[in-house]
Amino acid sequence: MASILETAASVGVFNTLLAAVDAAGLREALEGPGPFTVFAPVDDAFAALPPGTVQTPPPQLARILTYHVLSGAYSREQLVAEDSWSSLEGAPIPIRCKDPFEVKNATVVTADVVCDNGVVHVIDRVILPG
Amino acid sequence: MSATVASERIKAPLIPPSTHRYADVIHRLEAGGSMLPDTPENLKQIIGIYKAYAVPMDFYWRDLLYIAERVFLNPLPAFKYFISQEYLDRPNSYAGDQSQLRIWRGGEKAHPELLEFMERGETGRMPKLLHHLWHDRVNMEFAEACMQAMLWHQGMGGRFNDYLESDAYKANADRAIKAYFKGNPLMLGLYALFPDMFLEQVRQLSYTANLGLFWEVMAPVFFEMSDIYDEGGFKGVPDAMDFIVNGIFAVAGRPIYHHLYIGDECYEIIPKSEGFTWLYEAALPYVEAVFYRTAPFRGTKSYNAQAGQVPADQADFHYGILYADVFPVGSAGIPPTLLMQDMVHFLPPYLKEIYREHKRGEEDELVQLGITFQRSMYNVTSAVIQALRCALLYPLDDTNPEHLMANRRFFEAQMDRFLRPEARLPDIQSQNYR
Repeated sequence: MASILETAASVGVFNTLLAAVDAAGLREALEGPGPFTVFAPVDDAFAALPPGTVQTPPPQLARILTYHVLSGAYSREQLVAEDSWSSLEGAPIPIRCKDPFEVKNATVVTADVVCDNGVVHVIDRVILPG
Repeated sequence: MSATVASERIKAPLIPPSTHRYADVIHRLEAGGSMLPDTPENLKQIIGIYKAYAVPMDFYWRDLLYIAERVFLNPLPAFKYFISQEYLDRPNSYAGDQSQLRIWRGGEKAHPELLEFMERGETGRMPKLLHHLWHDRVNMEFAEACMQAMLWHQGMGGRFNDYLESDAYKANADRAIKAYFKGNPLMLGLYALFPDMFLEQVRQLSYTANLGLFWEVMAPVFFEMSDIYDEGGFKGVPDAMDFIVNGIFAVAGRPIYHHLYIGDECYEIIPKSEGFTWLYEAALPYVEAVFYRTAPFRGTKSYNAQAGQVPADQADFHYGILYADVFPVGSAGIPPTLLMQDMVHFLPPYLKEIYREHKRGEEDELVQLGITFQRSMYNVTSAVIQALRCALLYPLDDTNPEHLMANRRFFEAQMDRFLRPEARLPDIQSQNYR
């Protein structure tokens, strides 16, 4: 089985996310044993953001990215059992809807992609703390 | 007939109308508008006052950073408003050709109108000290009052305030305090006796840096808006609001930090690497503390806290510009008056003309411009509300009724804050409120 980042790279729709992970210096952490749950926005989600939103210095960018990560591997079934989860960034991620599966203001387009060091849920919007 | 019905069905809104008291305003927000009605005069008023606000703001941000980074814990800071040439010339990170993200096309140094005012004031050319003592100068007291509102209310989102209580911050502040008072046994002795008092002063200076970095962005935003308007660029109030929304996103990730300079040496009290951002740690707390909350101003009205005239909960404070009775200006040197007095020096001619034509003309110019400022800040608040909706909720043209209802609940919750009688939202709906 591949790691979270290897899986994301193989699909080809997470180019912006992977570039941002590198820019923020998070590659090493995400290649660690984890396990993590990653809500991975597709390239179109980043393109829909107003200009400049993620063109920030690494520590600030890392905050946006770590808001998409939970400590521990959780499936869709486990996630929808709670109203809210605490992100690695520190701010809570609300589970807004179980069916369709909506995380904050993003919809999960593909859930439960199991990897070596965690689980990936593909989302259609970049989620922001607040 | 059936074609008409079909087209009506297509046009029919996906959710029922709001029944909120401010339903009209909510429907306007849902259509991408502002809390301020879209009229040519409103556009003219808000752009004119943005320009008049940006000039003193160009001094505020420079001097706030000068105080936070250089004056620091000077026990007798009598000259803290005598900004150094270095900070007057300090290139704005968002103006001029040198900036990585250029918001204003003008120069990066202090605005020419500001320099001219600092030279001449209202009275005429005289030494800086006399201008200061005669109070013929930019009212930095207003900027410090805003900073103190942020310090006092605290805990308004973001992680800035939590960090100020952390061991890492205390260690950084301790290092800075000891370096600043190196060779000064009296102050070091006082620090040893009253460490928390010094620490609290440093926290205040961290908020000073925070506000300086916040306004460093807003000044070029307002200057650019004025230039665009002068070129005929904005078609209406929503255009002006959208410009601010885009600005918010473009600079949202700007690092918020506090550095102290002793000579050439830099002490990082809040390092950039903490990841604090302009949006979460500066802009949102600023709007909450200054536009909504602040505190009752002494000198204009007596409040009896025991009779419940001042809320028990700080979150219910409502003394900001969105609630202000602008009439009692000029009576006690209260912070809003100081700002009005600063802005009156830099009004564009078209705004002066509006004031001359209404009410008591130049006699009550400060009141009229205060109400213009209130209108303009309702527009800035609208931009913040739309930016939050954009970041945390759904597009206005989303086709999912559930999502549109989530947007509706958000807008209604925001409007609930203006249900209290002091709110000026109903007033600004009419052009006759002057």
